[in-house]
Amino acid sequence: MSDTSLAMTSLIFLGAAIIMVPLVRKLGLSSVIGFILGGILIGPFGLKLTGNDSDDIMHATEFGVIMLLFLVGLEFEPKKFWKIRKKIFGMGLSQMLITIVVLFAIFYFAEWRTDQALVAAVCFALSSTAIVLQTLKEKNIFRTDAGEASFSILLFQDMSVIPILALLPILAKRPEENDHQILLQYLPDWLQPFSVILGVLVLIFLGRFVFVPFLRYVSRSGMNELLTASSLFLVIGVSELMASVGLSPALGAFLAGVMLATSEFRHELESQIDPFKGLLLAVFFVSVGATINFFVIMQDPMFIFTTTIVVLAVKFTVLFGVGKFFGLKTDQNLIVAFALSQIGEFSFVLVNYATKLYLLNPELNAQLMAITAITMCVTPVLLIINEKFLEPKFLNIQNDAFENTEPIKQQKIIIVGFGHFGSTVGRLLRVNGIQATVLDNDPQRVNLLKSNHFKVYFGDATKPGILRSAGAETADLLILCLDDPEKNKLILEYARKKYPQLKIFVRAKNRLDAYDFYNNGVDNIYRETLGTAVDMAVDILKATGMRSYAARRLGKRFMLIDKAMVRKLAKEQLKDKITFTMKESLEREAELLAEDSQSFDESQWNNNEEI
Amino acid sequence: MKKTLVVFAHPHFEYSHANAELIKAYGDFPEVDFKDLYEEYPDFHIASFRERKRIRDYERLVFHFPLIWFSSPPLLKLWIDEVFDLKWLSEDQNPLKNKDAVIIVTVGGKEENYSENGLYGTTISHLMKFLTLSLKVNSIEVKEILAIHNADDLTKAELTKFTDKIKHILQTP
Repeated sequence: MSDTSLAMTSLIFLGAAIIMVPLVRKLGLSSVIGFILGGILIGPFGLKLTGNDSDDIMHATEFGVIMLLFLVGLEFEPKKFWKIRKKIFGMGLSQMLITIVVLFAIFYFAEWRTDQALVAAVCFALSSTAIVLQTLKEKNIFRTDAGEASFSILLFQDMSVIPILALLPILAKRPEENDHQILLQYLPDWLQPFSVILGVLVLIFLGRFVFVPFLRYVSRSGMNELLTASSLFLVIGVSELMASVGLSPALGAFLAGVMLATSEFRHELESQIDPFKGLLLAVFFVSVGATINFFVIMQDPMFIFTTTIVVLAVKFTVLFGVGKFFGLKTDQNLIVAFALSQIGEFSFVLVNYATKLYLLNPELNAQLMAITAITMCVTPVLLIINEKFLEPKFLNIQNDAFENTEPIKQQKIIIVGFGHFGSTVGRLLRVNGIQATVLDNDPQRVNLLKSNHFKVYFGDATKPGILRSAGAETADLLILCLDDPEKNKLILEYARKKYPQLKIFVRAKNRLDAYDFYNNGVDNIYRETLGTAVDMAVDILKATGMRSYAARRLGKRFMLIDKAMVRKLAKEQLKDKITFTMKESLEREAELLAEDSQSFDESQWNNNEEI
Repeated sequence: MKKTLVVFAHPHFEYSHANAELIKAYGDFPEVDFKDLYEEYPDFHIASFRERKRIRDYERLVFHFPLIWFSSPPLLKLWIDEVFDLKWLSEDQNPLKNKDAVIIVTVGGKEENYSENGLYGTTISHLMKFLTLSLKVNSIEVKEILAIHNADDLTKAELTKFTDKIKHILQTP
């Protein structure tokens, strides 16, 4: 098998993923488990389809993890971060520290080597972001206390991966043998210890003064492929740069992400990198599965079994205790504790890294990997048990939602298109303190608005990925203000199918667009030619001598009747035979307008008074 | 229970905790329809024809509003102007026939100020003449005028008492 080409190997890897993932998804398990099972299936203990190069592939695709960290960085908008800072540091730090201490103590007394016990404890303290976020999304509990607590803890864990990566070589007391450190050697000796600080400073400088102008320059070309290329260039470039100054590439990618989190390219970058990340991570997990050494497990199944139980129990207890301390209700707390009790995907990275540093021997490596994979497969089962048996017992039945006068939850709004039309909408929202995520695909305009302190992101919303990364999955309102009705229609159709919870408001040019939109199930349609034209007609009526109030009333009634007629005509468009034509509609409109609700026949009053 | 239409008008409803509490009285009964004028007609363009058609179905009208500058909010007055048709007065089948009415008015001031010898030298029922007379000429009898004084300073318990009172009025034939 040694002569298999790279294409062939990738084919096998991807094939395994394609077959296994839908299967495990059917069973209600996370896709990560599917990838790992697929890997086991094609691995040396299954169909023996992979050669020795699965190790190489694993290293190559570790890049997916770097991209994952870049995306985590992009999510780190300082403001959002600040809002839940207490939860992140309180719950996250206490969970990490207590879990590490308890696990380390247990491993230590089980007579593991001290450094190995520490590495294992640190790796096992992490939970799986991929699995948990997926679960939260599937159960739709992102905005609950449990959702927020889980998210905070995961965020802290994701952050702590970076210092852990830096810590491992120190623990190994062995300088990392790295061929890349050429740049570092050019530095004077006295500067070398400061390389970390120097690297970070360079990165901040680049983020501030190079990345954004560079992306602006590229986006102005209007070529989509170029933007994809430069997104990749940026991530790979940064991680290589970091590696060359002797820093962890993951840290570099994370910092680059943070630097770009507040820029207008955040959502565009997210949607560009996301597919690559997905692909690489998939292959990465498959290769993890393929490298699990079952012989090692078979030799000592009791060890694997007991360690798994101990780790799950410790993680669950610590999470439950931390949740209790931070005042989570029991039913919410159970969800958090069960959901986060598995070991995360970063542990694969960390364990492999530690093995490279000779901290762990291949045998222990295989055992730790197997334990991690097993806990991942167990969590979905635990969650089902919780849902079926435990949750009903603790759920507080006193659901007096009416007594709780909570402030109205802020609606999440996405505005697409921020030209003259959209920006008017946005300005009126903004003066009322309503935040919206704004997308526009004109780089010059985005730049201009940015300098006027508008929060605008660059991105073409007609591409599906952009809407998702702008948060369409959790948003409440979608405002479509693009100039081109075809584009509005395209987004509208897509959004209605993918995100049915969105309430859509759409700008329409004229009646014909309005028909289309009505027939697409949208009720909030704003014809740009209606309001202004009616305003003008009202003023003309005034100029011809009509009293202002009478003209205004007429204008108002005209609008209402016209809207009703368009609605009616829209329905006609769907029929084969049109029974109600435009001409008839115009005649009816005139009839209705002529009828005034007020009778000005004063004789009615006088007659009655006489009686 | 009579089929009832509540015509509620409050231009600053979001700041009125008293009225937020009071209108809970209307939520309990399927026979009661609640019409929030300032929510339905924010641009003061009242759909007269529709309102006229629908008003026929009701046996009782409840007018619920705060006293503003010794009168009703303008939109309530406009609603009456637009909906009550002069022609109805001479018709045999006045759509407003066989109805009665209740007026519920929240007042910021103290009760003693609204008396013949009080600060304002007039009473609430006198101030309500614009409404009671309009109803009277359409042969609608006003069953009760409930004035809720000191509305901004009432405690939740006191408001609940008034809410119960409104419920009682609704159920009185």
